Amino acid sequence: MVGLSIGEKHFIEGGVAQDIRTDGRRRLVYRPIQVRMGGTEVIASVKAELGRPSSLQPDKGKVFINVDCSPTADPIFEGRGGEELSTELSGALQICLLGGKSGAGAAIDLSSLSIVGGKICWDLYIDGLVVSADGNLLDALGAAIKAALSNTGIPKVNVAAGASSDEQPEVDISDEEFLQFDTSAVPVIITLTEVGRHYIVDATPEEESHMNSAISMSVNRKGNICGLTKRGSAGLDPSVILDMISVGIHVSEQLMNKLDSEIAAAEACEEE
Amino acid sequence: MEFVSPEGLRLDGRRPMEMRQLRAKIGAVDKAHGSAYFEMGNTKVIAAVYGPREVQNRSQQLNDQALVRCEYTMANFSTGDRRRKPKGDRRSTEISLVIRQTMEACIMTHLMPRSQIDIFVQVLQADGGTRSACINAATLALADAGIPMHDLVTSCSAGYLNSTPLLDLNYVEDSAGGPDVTVGILPKSTKVTLLQMDSKLPMDIFENVMQLATEGCKAVANYIREVLLEKTKERQKFHGV
Repeated sequence: MVGLSIGEKHFIEGGVAQDIRTDGRRRLVYRPIQVRMGGTEVIASVKAELGRPSSLQPDKGKVFINVDCSPTADPIFEGRGGEELSTELSGALQICLLGGKSGAGAAIDLSSLSIVGGKICWDLYIDGLVVSADGNLLDALGAAIKAALSNTGIPKVNVAAGASSDEQPEVDISDEEFLQFDTSAVPVIITLTEVGRHYIVDATPEEESHMNSAISMSVNRKGNICGLTKRGSAGLDPSVILDMISVGIHVSEQLMNKLDSEIAAAEACEEE
Repeated sequence: MEFVSPEGLRLDGRRPMEMRQLRAKIGAVDKAHGSAYFEMGNTKVIAAVYGPREVQNRSQQLNDQALVRCEYTMANFSTGDRRRKPKGDRRSTEISLVIRQTMEACIMTHLMPRSQIDIFVQVLQADGGTRSACINAATLALADAGIPMHDLVTSCSAGYLNSTPLLDLNYVEDSAGGPDVTVGILPKSTKVTLLQMDSKLPMDIFENVMQLATEGCKAVANYIREVLLEKTKERQKFHGV
């Protein structure tokens, strides 16, 4: 954790109370975001493999989310040091992006990953890597995954006809034709951190170091909440939670628009 | 399998003595004391340096020199087929050790007794020659952190396939089973600080291959110097000197 003196703590808390933070932002303003396909801070990658669907949901594909914290971000992640944070982050991402056990409410339409019902489907591996940690990792990972998914092309698969029903059918993976994901349903993740008696978005490590609690919510384009997790130890008043959620939905609209335009710009840049 | 076509071109269209494209950027991780991003063709790595700072584990403290530590990690998505590798497997432990020893040889550790320098290298994409790329990235990161060094260390690999010495092997050439010579040198004195080879080679051919790798190291050194110079000029301008 960041070493802060009592004076600094009071300074941050006082600032938050007066709606001006140490870097000059207001409480509900994000830092400028940048989407770079394979750049710094957090990197998300999506890999697809052919696999067998689970017997419970034969007509759906599977998605795995995994996060790693690189020791380059902070020396405390050395060796097994990053595992606790990695597990916490991937758990939160799973809740926010994958929806319930039934697959309902997932960011990605799982039935679109099915190739032959009950036989073959795409297994989607989403890997996040934290290269440089500067607060608000979860929101950054959520944004990076959204960007990576919009950049992913799943090869078109032709199933050889005439395969008998009990053996594994042969497939032919096309090198040229790709299907793009519909990422409009992928939610963005907003974390509201409570500092003192107020809450802020996009906290810096200094602010995170004396948060009481934080609520991460994923909100999709329609303004529906797709997932919600609370971190931190202190309790929250239910009315405050509802208040935070409504603020989060409002903020998510701006973030979503900003992110979409950044992704479009990055894609246009890549095509050139 | 044919690795060099009759026209003298390799699988990725290079000539036998040609290197892949080098790209480097200083300052890839904001919070680190020094960091660098290094690219050799499709091999991409990030190195971050923390230190010199207080030794965390007192029992490891050295009273006459600095403690240099290194950790090498590969991202899950760095290889062609996604594999979940446990942290600290044998291969990464070995590479960590190699990088540590190579860097320790050029750092003036005696100037910083009772302190610790951490080097973290993270492979983002692996396409052969990760060892070399990591060492080159670590050199840049150490220079960025302002850690006193005798010289830069640069590294490059070379191999021998289809009776031709090949510079800077990529993954396909590396896994062909031929010899793979990784060389690290101090370019000013052309002293060899790292030399590793698997498989076997006749003496006279080994000399040629090693010579080729050394030439590669020098080319890398020239490039790294350029990058450092450019960054220094940028900083000079920023500070208005």
